[in-house]
Amino acid sequence: MAVVRLDNLSKRYTGTADAAVDRVSFTVADGEFMVLLGPSGCGKSTTLRMIAGLEAISEGALWIDGRQVNTVPAKDRDIAMVFQSYALYPHMTVRDNLAFGLRRRDVAKAEIERRVALAASILGLEPLLERKPFALSGGQRQRVALGRAIVREPKVFLFDEPLSNLDAALRVATRNELVKLHRRLGVTMIYVTHDQVEAMTMGQRICVMNRGRVAQIGAPLEVYRNPADAFVARFLGSPPMNLFPATLRTDGGRALAAAGTHAIPLERWRTEALSPGREVLCGIRPEAFEIAGRTTAGTATVTGSLSAIEPLGAETLLLVDLGPGVGEVTARVRDDVDAPIGSTMALSFQPASVYLFDRTSELAIPAEGRA
Amino acid sequence: MANAEPFADRATRMLRSAPLAAVLVLYTLYSALPFAWIATMSVRTTSEISANHYAWPTVWHWEKYRAAWFDSNFGTYFWNSTLVVVAAVAVVTVLGAAAAHCLARYRFRGNRLVYFILFSSIIFPPQIILISLFQVMAGYGLYNSRLGLTLVYIGLQLPLTVYLLEGFFARIPQDLFDAAKIDGYGDFEIFVRIVLPVGMPAIATTVILNFIQLWNEFLFAVVLVNDPGLSTLPIGIRRFMGDYFQDTGMIATGMMIAVLPVIVVYAFFSEKLIQGMTAGAVK
Ligand SMILES: Nc1ncnc2c1ncn2[C@@H]1O[C@H](COP(=O)(O)OP(=O)(O)O)[C@@H](O)[C@H]1O
Ligand SMILES: [Mg+2]
Repeated sequence: MAVVRLDNLSKRYTGTADAAVDRVSFTVADGEFMVLLGPSGCGKSTTLRMIAGLEAISEGALWIDGRQVNTVPAKDRDIAMVFQSYALYPHMTVRDNLAFGLRRRDVAKAEIERRVALAASILGLEPLLERKPFALSGGQRQRVALGRAIVREPKVFLFDEPLSNLDAALRVATRNELVKLHRRLGVTMIYVTHDQVEAMTMGQRICVMNRGRVAQIGAPLEVYRNPADAFVARFLGSPPMNLFPATLRTDGGRALAAAGTHAIPLERWRTEALSPGREVLCGIRPEAFEIAGRTTAGTATVTGSLSAIEPLGAETLLLVDLGPGVGEVTARVRDDVDAPIGSTMALSFQPASVYLFDRTSELAIPAEGRA
Repeated sequence: MANAEPFADRATRMLRSAPLAAVLVLYTLYSALPFAWIATMSVRTTSEISANHYAWPTVWHWEKYRAAWFDSNFGTYFWNSTLVVVAAVAVVTVLGAAAAHCLARYRFRGNRLVYFILFSSIIFPPQIILISLFQVMAGYGLYNSRLGLTLVYIGLQLPLTVYLLEGFFARIPQDLFDAAKIDGYGDFEIFVRIVLPVGMPAIATTVILNFIQLWNEFLFAVVLVNDPGLSTLPIGIRRFMGDYFQDTGMIATGMMIAVLPVIVVYAFFSEKLIQGMTAGAVK
């Protein structure tokens, strides 16, 4: 059980110009499940490996459980790590894989056996203890990797994309088990993933990273509802938020975003906060759209031509071309749609569901009300 | 006959594999026949052999082995060979594995330079250093000594060994090392407990290769050792060839004695090699 605090942590690999991790700061509370989320190459693994002690810290300070551990070797940081490749020792049985780390630490034999048995029972590994890794399925290997971390009873668990080598069904199941395991052990966990669904469903808080920097930290729904910038808005949500360039103007005292031939009403901002002529990115999530005509008043409408339909069963994705200046937007609706491609399609949305971002900085323009 | 393959299918299958089988048979004969021939000669006397080169032994002269071992000093040659080759292979394996691990795993200034120098020493034929090596060895008092020959053998085989092992070790995933580090193991323990066992198939390969190469080595053995009491087997066999007379029968017997350890080493380490490969060591 421990607090992990990163204070302006940076990593510069030798021979590279840009920092792989650039002044990252956050604090993971005792017993918290924190997710590092971001696209491939954004520095998640590097951050995690610096926490683990596998990568030297270039600048900044790292604190685990009240102790600064910048130069403390990995083995003395009291952390355990689960790797994407699982990193099982191929020449050892499952039992030896689990016990390997304990033997080095002079844990008593009986205690090793107790912990291995406990981890094996938590993870259902008992029948596999005498097998070698090559005789295990992907899911079983994943469990052994997890078990190896559990037996150590560390202060902090670190996960680097531990589920990405599993097939979709197993991934969902293991996701739930990891959450249960976290609840059961109550230990601080830091979990790296590029999968926003994993992040949203597992994290108590998520830290979205972009190009080595922290883009936003917060509870999953909070980040989803109030993305700090266009990058976070695009990265969270599937399909991603529709973003298109627009120019602010006022029309009879009401604020509007003019995009192509469309005028998007803006309700969440006080008019004086929006200077006319300002170049912005206008954002509307696919799920905020509905097919016009079936909803009540108070909604806005945009009209374009239908360019594709993707039925997903429970819902339907519509690609609608809103013309020059806006382009195609995606709508995610609950109805079945059988309009012909190329036909005119009107999409309605609540003006309160509109987001605005500055065109150059891409930072969100803070609103009064909730989206 | 529910599961029986239709006759036509089986016939085509056999026909298709026939060329492959033919090649295999030919190759086996090509490599095994000379060996079998020498085996027959090893129990025939030289006069019998000159009467008919290819005859099957009529009388089995097993006493020739005894004669070779005791009267022709083969016991001594065998012991010298064993001492020199086993020591050289042991040192080459340990040093080679350690060096290969360092080159494969640690980033340090000059890593690739060291690797390149080692690699380039493989492409030069060893004969070109023979004369200068002779002078160096004589200078250090290592001429005519088993220790000297062992050192030379280590130097001869080390580059190729490092080269082969480096290629294999570099493919061991870094995550394994990181996991072991977090598990609390230091660099040397990781080498012993992870690299050596995981790299066993490659190590077994180099052991076989080095053993066979050195066991049969003639050139350096004949130049650097003069004393018959210190000679190795290939030199011992050579002593049956006089200037005017060649004792073919005894040469064959000597060769059979010499070849035995090679077979034993191969059998033992190729077993390891196969075990290692089927254990799916590295993926
Ligand atoms: N050992 C290394 N040497 C040099 N650059 C590296 C090294 N490891 C990672 N990088 C670079 O650092 C950046 C971040 O990498 P990484 O932390 O692995 O990203 P992520 O895990 O988010 O995909 C990438 O641009 C990557 O190319
Ligand atoms: Mg990564």
